[in-house]
Amino acid sequence: MTLFFLGIALTALGGAAAWLLQGRRRIADTAFAVLAVLGCIAGLIPAVGALAGRAAGGVAWDMGPATGIWAFEIDALSAVFLLVVFGVGLANVLYGIAYLGPERAHRPVGGTHFLTALFLAAMALVVTARATVVFLIAWEMMALTAYLLVVFEDEDRQVRRAGLVYLAATHLGALALIAMFALWGSWAGGFTFDALGGAALPAGSTAAVLSLALAGFGMKAGLVPLHFWLPGAHASAPSHVSGLMSGVMIKTGIYGLLRVIQLLGGIPAWWGWVVLSLGIVSGVLGVLWALAQHDLKRLLAYHSIENIGIILLGVGAGALGVAYEQPVVAVLGFAGAVLHTVNHAVFKSLLFLGAGAIARATATRAIDRLGGLARRMPVTWIAFLIGSVAIVGLPPLNGFVSEWLVFQGLLAGAAVGGPVRGAVLGVAALAVIGGLALACFAKVTGIVFLGEPRSTAAAQGREPGAGYLGPMVALALVCIVIGLLPPLVVGPAMEVAAGIAAVTPAQLPAILDPVHRGAWGIALVSGGLVALIAVGWAVRRALERRRPSAWSETWACGYAAATPRMQYTAASFAAPLLRTFARFSGIRTERGPATFHSHPFDLVLERVVRPTWHRVLEVAEVIRPVQHGRLHTYLLYIVGVLLALLVYLWRGAPS
Amino acid sequence: MIVWPAIVTLVWLLVVAPLLPGIATKTRAWLTGRRGPPLLQLYFDLGKLWRKRCTYSRTTTWMFRVAPLTLLMTTLGAACLLPLDGSHAVLRFSGDFIAFASLLALGRFALVLAGLDTGSSFEGMGASRDVTFATFTEPALLLGFATLALLSGSLSLTGMFGTAPTPAWTAGAGHVGAAQALIATSLFLVLLAETARVPVDDPATHLELTMIHEVIVLDHSGPDLAVILYSGAVKLMVFGALVVGVLIPPAALSGVRAVAALTGGLVLVAALVGVVESATARLRLTRVPQFLVTAAALSALATLLVLLQ
Repeated sequence: MTLFFLGIALTALGGAAAWLLQGRRRIADTAFAVLAVLGCIAGLIPAVGALAGRAAGGVAWDMGPATGIWAFEIDALSAVFLLVVFGVGLANVLYGIAYLGPERAHRPVGGTHFLTALFLAAMALVVTARATVVFLIAWEMMALTAYLLVVFEDEDRQVRRAGLVYLAATHLGALALIAMFALWGSWAGGFTFDALGGAALPAGSTAAVLSLALAGFGMKAGLVPLHFWLPGAHASAPSHVSGLMSGVMIKTGIYGLLRVIQLLGGIPAWWGWVVLSLGIVSGVLGVLWALAQHDLKRLLAYHSIENIGIILLGVGAGALGVAYEQPVVAVLGFAGAVLHTVNHAVFKSLLFLGAGAIARATATRAIDRLGGLARRMPVTWIAFLIGSVAIVGLPPLNGFVSEWLVFQGLLAGAAVGGPVRGAVLGVAALAVIGGLALACFAKVTGIVFLGEPRSTAAAQGREPGAGYLGPMVALALVCIVIGLLPPLVVGPAMEVAAGIAAVTPAQLPAILDPVHRGAWGIALVSGGLVALIAVGWAVRRALERRRPSAWSETWACGYAAATPRMQYTAASFAAPLLRTFARFSGIRTERGPATFHSHPFDLVLERVVRPTWHRVLEVAEVIRPVQHGRLHTYLLYIVGVLLALLVYLWRGAPS
Repeated sequence: MIVWPAIVTLVWLLVVAPLLPGIATKTRAWLTGRRGPPLLQLYFDLGKLWRKRCTYSRTTTWMFRVAPLTLLMTTLGAACLLPLDGSHAVLRFSGDFIAFASLLALGRFALVLAGLDTGSSFEGMGASRDVTFATFTEPALLLGFATLALLSGSLSLTGMFGTAPTPAWTAGAGHVGAAQALIATSLFLVLLAETARVPVDDPATHLELTMIHEVIVLDHSGPDLAVILYSGAVKLMVFGALVVGVLIPPAALSGVRAVAALTGGLVLVAALVGVVESATARLRLTRVPQFLVTAAALSALATLLVLLQ
């Protein structure tokens, strides 16, 4: 634990250095980078240790009556999320140093670096806290630093709006969590997680705890319909902050759900079905809405909702396994959820960093104004392509490995029978999600990087420097390693899952062995595929040397004066699917005599949240005269209340 | 463990695969009163294309050149996961059916990106249609597998197709036979879509605007195009083997007889494709999703039938 706190302190110190030394740019950047690297490595060591079975003991301090006991511990579940916080977080932080460099001309950036470091520290504390008050303190610190980072470009009205929506939503979620911990703690008679976990709860209280957990943690995770804050906030933030929020922060919601399941021990089946259904809805609608977006970062933000849906499918299957006492289903479901959490953190950060590089190079995030960047930004292109193949869940990359586990979690009930077999229906949803995600990333990579540039801005795109490319390449390598060697991660993920589902070590080998063999099968398929393509490439090189290829124009039915603007657009590419699902796709179109515009909008934000908010304001307007700031009316209220109290005491006082 | 019979069977089927589109075309020609191209036409085409050189658009990148290879290798990889000889696949493990579907999806992704790589509107249009229809075929395929998993209790294709035959249509197990028939029908509809056949697509069309699969590969030429055409034939073989495998669980037979049954079944499936092509017209593009939802609905029905039994 000492190493862990040292890591947090070093990271925060790095941020402080970046802030205090910001007058001297080179020193500030170097100090921040070095301290962040050291801090994150120090934080990663205990996490890796805990995953390898050498869990460090927890620490606890009594901080007095105000905040109670502050306890921290790193178990396997915490360790997985710490890997994400420090590992993926480090890549984003280092990228941020390069990314914010050009901003210095407009505004000081040292404070932003400091906030980023604090944000990282807060997330590390959230996933290690073992007492409710300190958990909530860290939770709020995370929410507030994230807000301040989102409104970095606060001269833009859209950004300020998105920030406010985020702030309101995150506090609504926090309220649910405060209510949950307060109720749970009062029933359990203690506010440390140990007390919560060990307590026998009164009948019906589990339902309250689980519902509030789903509302509070679900808001942070961004599951539909609680996602409405997410696209705006993630699109508005600087790209490395988007990567941190999308890759790491929303996962703390998943961490919370898993921790609650672990502490409660038994889960009612209805909750599993609810989570599974929410996973289906979030996954399918998230990717459908992503397909409708014209803004690269908004599109990626909606994909986070989709991936949270996939993770929830795993959590749902796991919860059903716990409820119906089927350890195979429980372990496979939770393992899929845990691994997909890690994988999504890696490839989503990679994609956001790639989007940031594109936005810096071309000064636009509009997909339909880009094109032809594969030639101009070859490394960014390959990294982004790797992220895309991974997020679609295709071999030979990491997204496939975790989706493979989730699929098996949903289907593992087939062999054991009973009501848990119903989880099979999630398979159809996962297949639809896969198909739509493929369509969406074919659109993004194809329109942004391939073909000819659609605007002068895109034609001027240049490869960014090493400060951008280094973190992207590192994340891409993680995608490749996990994809080619799944046995490395599948085993640990299953053991973490066994910890959540409280499966005894004696039961574990029977569950683990077939999956482990399967993981080697995947390694063989993925490795074989890469090897075969490499061999094929060598053959075609030899063939081409013998018969040199001819070069010509793209075939356009004999029309030779085609311009780049005549290429297919992203909007047209997505149109057939959006039309098929028109009722849910959330897109508004305008037709003029010779113009066509389509505007994606968020169905929940526009149709539910805003109308509700306006209704609340109307009601508030009615009771507003009560509170108009004149001193004598307030004095009148006080006198009135005093009189009422006196009357009450006089009438009701025991004589 | 290397299973030699499975490898020999796979090689045999990879050799005869280009015959299947020929059979479909020939059937269609006979039924419409024409003579049609020879059965071996695809072999001739492949040979001719292989001897030519490639012509590339100056807009294209390495993506365009690696896509045909990716398509071929993913299709071959998927074929390796099927228990073609009745008892074993070349590669089998828990959850290999997900790898099967994902490999085919990767091939599609590569080909679609190659289409977009040319910057041509035609190819963009074809790519867009292809990914649209795949969104519907994928759930149909995976629900079919899920139902087979429920029936066999196994999460591997070898277990679903290759182990002891399920007692179809026997007393008390009528739902098994019904579910198998539904899955086979659904898989056949998926086959028509995945191999770009009528009523989803028409391999014989000559107008770029109406093509789907053909237009994605419009700019491919020479050996690259040969690889794509051959992959298409293998894909027809793979999906045909799925349909046949559901109807005649290969484990009911053994060794050479299983292979002979599968080969005969494949010929029948190809002929059936030809019959469908001569009997129906192509659907309007906006109607295709409805057709494919039907396929998914059939699979879902089979799933429910087994779940509720």
